[in-house]
Amino acid sequence: MPPSRLALALLASLGPGSAALAAPTHYPLTVENCGVRLTFAQAPAQAVTIGQAGTEMFYALGLGERLAGTSLWFNEVAPQFKAQNDKVERLADNEPSFEAVIGKRPGLVAVQFEWMVGPQGVVGTREQFAELGVPTYLLPSDCEGKDNLNGADGTRLDTFRIDSLYKSIEQLAQIMDVQERGAALVSQLQARLAQVTATAGERRAQDQSALFWFSSADLDTDPYVAGRKGIPDFMLNSLGMRNVVESDEEWPSVGWETLAKANPTFIVIARMDRRRFPADDYRKKLEFLRNDPVTRNMDAVKHDRIVIIDADAMHAGVRLVDGIEVLAAASQKLRKAD
Amino acid sequence: MHHAVARLALRSLAHALWVGALLSVALIAAASIGETRLGLSMVLQVLANHLWAAGYPLDPIDAGIIWNYRLPRALVAGACGAGLASAGAVLQALLRNPLADPYLLGISAGASTGAVLVTLLGVGAGMLSLSGGAFLGALAAFALVTLLARSARGSSSNNGQIILAGIAGSQLFNALTSFLITASASAEQARGLMFWLLGNLSGVRWPAVGLALPVVLAGLLVCLWHRRALDAFTFGSDAAAALGIPVRRVRLLLVACTALMTAVLVSIVGAIGFVGLVIPHAVRLLGGPRHTRLLPLSALCGALFLMAADVLSRTLLKGQVLPIGVITALIGAPVFALILVRGRHAR
Repeated sequence: MPPSRLALALLASLGPGSAALAAPTHYPLTVENCGVRLTFAQAPAQAVTIGQAGTEMFYALGLGERLAGTSLWFNEVAPQFKAQNDKVERLADNEPSFEAVIGKRPGLVAVQFEWMVGPQGVVGTREQFAELGVPTYLLPSDCEGKDNLNGADGTRLDTFRIDSLYKSIEQLAQIMDVQERGAALVSQLQARLAQVTATAGERRAQDQSALFWFSSADLDTDPYVAGRKGIPDFMLNSLGMRNVVESDEEWPSVGWETLAKANPTFIVIARMDRRRFPADDYRKKLEFLRNDPVTRNMDAVKHDRIVIIDADAMHAGVRLVDGIEVLAAASQKLRKAD
Repeated sequence: MHHAVARLALRSLAHALWVGALLSVALIAAASIGETRLGLSMVLQVLANHLWAAGYPLDPIDAGIIWNYRLPRALVAGACGAGLASAGAVLQALLRNPLADPYLLGISAGASTGAVLVTLLGVGAGMLSLSGGAFLGALAAFALVTLLARSARGSSSNNGQIILAGIAGSQLFNALTSFLITASASAEQARGLMFWLLGNLSGVRWPAVGLALPVVLAGLLVCLWHRRALDAFTFGSDAAAALGIPVRRVRLLLVACTALMTAVLVSIVGAIGFVGLVIPHAVRLLGGPRHTRLLPLSALCGALFLMAADVLSRTLLKGQVLPIGVITALIGAPVFALILVRGRHAR
C-alpha cells in the first residue's frame, strides 16, 4: 500500500474516543522522556533514527519524507514500508557515527536502545547531542522499568508493558504533529493484539513453554536467550505461554545444559541480517539444534516445533504484533493437532 | 642391575595407577556437578553405557548432557590445566625467570587480536571461527616475538631477549586489540569478546578433546624427554652448555613446543591466567625443583586445579556461568602473593 493510502486507512480506523488526542500539537511542546525534558519550538522538519523499531514507527506514521537517515537494522525493512524506505539514506547498518547523525542537522533523533546514546552511548551521549541543540527521543520501552547499567543489554526491574510501545508511537506522533495518525496506529495495533490474544484465550496454552534464542558469541557456547519480564516474555505471556528462562536480564546467556533440561514446547530462533556472530544466521541455529547430540533430543527439535521470527519483531516496534501472530499460529497448530 | 630396573618399573606402574585413579575420580566428580542436578549414579550409568554398552535406560537429554557436555568439558579443563602448568614450569626453567608463564611469548595477546579481528571486522567472512582466529593470532604473535628475539641476539646471556621481545610483542598486540575494540566494537560485541577472553569452556565438545589431549600429551612428553636439560638450564645456559647440552637448539625446541601447546589451548578455551604461573611454584614448594618430578606433578596439579575451577565457575552463582579466568585469578592471585612473601622471607 502506498503511504498516503496507508495513512488514509489508518485515519478511517480511528475511533471516536480518540478525538482529544487527534488535535494538532501545540508548540512549544515539552516531553518528559527517560529522565530528560525535551522541548520543541516547532515540529522537527527532519529526523534521524537509530534502530529499526523507531524507523518503522516513522514509516507506519507516514513520515518517511521527514526522515533524513536511518541506522541499526536487524532485518530487511517490512515490505509495506519499502517504498518509503527506498528514498531515505541508510547511514549505517549498525550504529552510526556521531557525526553521520549530526551531519543531517536533525531536529530529532529517535533511538531504540539506551546503550546507543546513554551515559556510555556508543554513538554519543544524550548530553553531547543536547549541546548541539539536537533532542534525542529514547523509546520508553528501553528505559521504563529497566536498569540499563546492569547486565549487557540491561535488566528489567518491572515487566515490560505494551503501553510503552503505544506511548512511543503517540509521543513521536505528537512531536512530529501527526497525532491523528498516531492514535489510529495505536488503536489498530491494539485491535490486532486483542484479536490474537482472544483466540489464544479461548484455549489456554498454559502448558506450552518456549525459549527465545537470539544469537551466541560462538556457535557451541552458551546462547543469548530472552530473559523474564522482557519483550519476548511479554509475547509469550500474552498467549498464555511460559518462558523457560528465569533471569531478569534482557538477554542473559544461559547454558545449553539448563535449556535442554527445561525442554520447552517451542524454540523460537531469531532471523536477522546482522552477521556479527556465526549464530546470527538462523540456518546455523537450526543446524546446531538438529545436530548437537543433546539439543537434537529436545522435544521442540524432535517434533519440529522451531519457530523462526524476525529479530525486529522481538523488539518494541510496530512489528511486535507480527511476531506474536507467528507465535500464536504455531501454538494454535499444536493444540489442534493434540 | 635387573633388580633396579624391576624396581623402577614397579614404581612407575604404582605412580601411573594412583595418578590414573585420582584423575578418574576427579573426572567423575566434575561430570556429576553442574548447572542442573544429575547425580553420581547417573554419571556412572552413562559411563557404563558408553564404555561397556551396559544398556541402562536413560533419558537421552540427561545422558547427552553428561557424555557430550560435561565429560568433554572436564577433560579439556584437565588438559588445559596440565598443558599450561607444565608449559609454565618449562619456561620458568629455560628463561631462569620465576615470573615466566605461557603467555609471556605474546600468545594470549596475539590470540585476542585474532579473535577480535574475526569478530569485529569479519576477517575470514564467517569461514573462520573465533577460535580459528585466535589460533592464527597466537601463532603470528609468537612468530613475531621469536623473530624479534633472534634479531636482537648478540650478548651472551640471551634469556633477557626473549622476555623483552615477549613484552614488546604483547604490548603491540594488546594495543592493536584495544584499537580495534575502540574503533569498531559495540557493547554487545565487547561482551561476546570479554566472555571469551576471560576463558570460556561452555562451547567445548568431543572434537576439542581430540585436539587438546593429544597436543598436551605430546608436548608433555617432549618436555619430559628434556627433563635433565631443564635441570641444567636452571643453573644458567653456561652451566647447561658445560654439561654438553646444545643450548640454542634445545631452548628453541622447548620454547616452540610450549608456545604451540599454549596456542592450541588458548584457541579452544580463551586465555586462562595464573595456572601456568602459580602451579609450578606451588609444586616446587611441595616436590622440589627436579624436573623429573616437577613436570608430571605440575601437569597433574594443573589438571586438578582447572577441573575444580571449572566446576566452581558453573556452580558459584546459580543460573549463571562465571568466566573460568575469573576463578583462577581469584584463587591464583592470593596464592601467588603468598609465594612472593614466602620467597622474600626465605632469602
